[in-house]
Amino acid sequence: MDEPFTAQSAQRILDRALRDGGLFADIFCERRSSVRMSLQEGAIHEAALSQNYGAGVRVVVGESAGYAYSEDISEERLLEAAARAAAIARLTAEGGSRSAHLGTLERSNDGLYDRNRSENAAPRILAALLERTESAARDSDAKIVGVNAHVVDELQEIWIARSDGSFRSDRRPMVTLGVQCIARLGNERGTGYCADGGRTSVAFFESMTPEQIARESARIALVNLDARPAPAGEFETLLGAGGGGVLLHEAVGHGLEGDFNRQGVSLYSGRIGERVASELVTIYDDGDIPEERGSTSFDDEGTPCGHTVLVEGGILRGYLHDELNARLMGMNSTGNGRRQSFRHLPQPRMCNTYMPPGDAHLEEMIASIENGIYAKSFAGGQVNIGKGDFVFMIAEGYRIERGRLGAAVKNATIVGNGPDAMTKVTAVGNDARLARRHYTCGKGGQSVPVGVGMPTLKISAMSLGGTEGA
Amino acid sequence: MREEEARERAQRAVEIAMALGASDAEARIVLARRFSTAARAERITKLDLSEGRNLSMRLFLDGRKATLVGTHWSDDEIRSGVATALEQARYVGVDAFAGLPEAREITDVDLDLYDREIEERRDEDRLDDVRQVERAIRETDPRIDNSNGSYYNDACVTMALANSRGVLGSYRGTQVAISASPVASEGAYKRTAHYGSAARYLSRIDTPAEIAREAVRRTVVFYGARKPKTAATAILFDREVAAAVLEDIFAACSAANVAIGNSWLAGRSGERIGSELVDIVDDGTIPGALGSSPFDAEGTPSQRTPVFERGILRSFLFDAYYARRLGARSTGNAVAGGIGPNTFFLAPGRANLEDVIASTKQGILVLETIGFATEHASGLYSRGARGIAIRNGELAEPVEEFTIAAPFPEILAGIDAVANDLKFDGSIASPSFRVAEMQVSGSSSAP
Repeated sequence: MDEPFTAQSAQRILDRALRDGGLFADIFCERRSSVRMSLQEGAIHEAALSQNYGAGVRVVVGESAGYAYSEDISEERLLEAAARAAAIARLTAEGGSRSAHLGTLERSNDGLYDRNRSENAAPRILAALLERTESAARDSDAKIVGVNAHVVDELQEIWIARSDGSFRSDRRPMVTLGVQCIARLGNERGTGYCADGGRTSVAFFESMTPEQIARESARIALVNLDARPAPAGEFETLLGAGGGGVLLHEAVGHGLEGDFNRQGVSLYSGRIGERVASELVTIYDDGDIPEERGSTSFDDEGTPCGHTVLVEGGILRGYLHDELNARLMGMNSTGNGRRQSFRHLPQPRMCNTYMPPGDAHLEEMIASIENGIYAKSFAGGQVNIGKGDFVFMIAEGYRIERGRLGAAVKNATIVGNGPDAMTKVTAVGNDARLARRHYTCGKGGQSVPVGVGMPTLKISAMSLGGTEGA
Repeated sequence: MREEEARERAQRAVEIAMALGASDAEARIVLARRFSTAARAERITKLDLSEGRNLSMRLFLDGRKATLVGTHWSDDEIRSGVATALEQARYVGVDAFAGLPEAREITDVDLDLYDREIEERRDEDRLDDVRQVERAIRETDPRIDNSNGSYYNDACVTMALANSRGVLGSYRGTQVAISASPVASEGAYKRTAHYGSAARYLSRIDTPAEIAREAVRRTVVFYGARKPKTAATAILFDREVAAAVLEDIFAACSAANVAIGNSWLAGRSGERIGSELVDIVDDGTIPGALGSSPFDAEGTPSQRTPVFERGILRSFLFDAYYARRLGARSTGNAVAGGIGPNTFFLAPGRANLEDVIASTKQGILVLETIGFATEHASGLYSRGARGIAIRNGELAEPVEEFTIAAPFPEILAGIDAVANDLKFDGSIASPSFRVAEMQVSGSSSAP
């Protein structure tokens, strides 16, 4: 691949960035090309091509960062960006003028994902995937009256040059196929959604076929067609394996991000070594699971990604760090410095967050509940970091009555408090798995792809927000 | 100068697309100079000074549509992107409704969108603003012992649009936003809240002191908050969360959702849906408003569209495509990638918020909601919420960790009080309003 700049040129830009007293500087250059095709009402209705190429220069001094980006990556423009980013050092100067000593470019070459592709998938292939998805969804049941599907193929090439000498590049692929089904019978409607993909190519859909994804979406739509309005009140709750991991991500993971903890604004601040959850709870974040959405060889600061123990047997073990927050806390970056694009500063973010299996069987957990809810999967969630309060929307859920699965519930929201829920975990299933790969996390106005996973969890009490009085 | 450059690039992109075989083409150029800074304690923690540029194109090929978005700037870059996009367009289905809007004249009205004071502002003054907010939150209340950071952002934006039917337009706009996010410790918990102000003119934004005061009030008010009982009760939405409720109502009014049956309002034009107090308007022509512009993303001149009048549904909101499909006329609501609001707002009432509280026997003043669960097809609203209980016309204890839920038709029909506190500080805005009864799910009912 052709390089955006030589090591010599990057060195000059970094030297300019550091000239006014910065402690550290980096250049993040990105070339991203994404094709999205979508199908609606039986026909492919749009092809969208997005191509972005640019670079940002960052200067760090103390806990402050200066930043400037440019869509013109000539050395002249990047030197100007470096000078603008260096303004932060002039404001908070800790003195001194440093210079960079850049090594030679190192290209990632591990087995985490395929780096051989230099072009997006052919539109003919994407169109064929959508057509197969749509016909499988429609053929699955006469009550499926609407199908919306999309497929995205993306390639991101990045180059990161750091003033401490590292100069790395990587090529990260990503594909996603998603389908929403609408089922109708009389005036009743139900919707279902299913998506899958990962850091791979469209060849992924040879093993996980569009037909399988379409039928799963249709199945959920039919379940929701039959669903009753959710009751309101507190219930013993089972959180589903795989997709239930959204709860770990929102309710615990965000609270363990290094920026919130360094600033002392998370309820987990200063609590490493303390009990923060039931002894049944263990949570990891990994950036090196092959082809997962949150995986990268190195993060968006050029730091290698690995395995981070967050909670082990209910004890808080660690935080998720980028370089800036790790340095200020006297720790090492865990390779969780991530950014949406060259237009953004990195932040500590999760990669793939999951809980390993316990020993309970799903059937036994259901049988043990007199009056409860089985929240099998979620449509999304949100959390308040300081207090840990969260909400989740249930995408597929059922009542549990006298130890048996009952009617499906529709339009239900689970509301609770993360740390509180983690102390109320009373059983952990033996069915741990990673969720289907389609999750995106938002923080501070930036979106990044993530992975989640979990075994079935039993929680002694959670609030269900419904419309029916208890 | 830069406006001329943007117009030239937009026109040139259209020419390139037509030369490469497009049957119609449209190009939009956005140039933005952004200043973004954050402070925590006495220190500036972030300074981002960037000038960005972006090209968005829609290409039509005999009824097939493709889009191109990105950093393309030179003729060669544009040519290469357009060629790839046109190749992709061949796999798109022919859609008789796809195409450019009928050309309407873009009149040269001054909507008061550009504040030269922002363009010429000294960096030092911008940094002073954010430092002042950060200092003021700590001085306002001794319980504030930390901060998630205070923010100042401003932008000078130039937009140019050209298409192959001869439309060419451009305008410049400014925006400025300041926000605070104080933190107060309560035991192991950190109480946080966020409050901000935004405007097109520096002189119209809340002062740093006002922003700090309101952010602090919203933080400490939740000390000792508890879970309310599960019950059906009156819900008074504070103006910021009221605007969030209007976002869902906007989605139901969007012709894109109506056309595919993904709206609970589909097929209900002319029906009485809301109470007498429900007057909702989309207006792109309010001078100085953040949501105003002379024309929308496909060059249709902005207008004022009554959506609900005294509770009766009058109009959906259209771009050119959905207007053609549904036999209507574009209301000037095209945005990049779909249909969006200009300024979509609920008309204010006469009473102060305090008077509305005083007239509420029992209920909850909701100050924050989290989550985004709305089934637009069935129209069910459900959110996590925090607020203050109201008893006998007075604010009582703070409450949190509960959900509020109701079907949208019941919410609109149940609006029985609207306050006078409307502010045009976003493209969706609302005064505070009260819904007579919604389901609150909190702790189990007392035996």
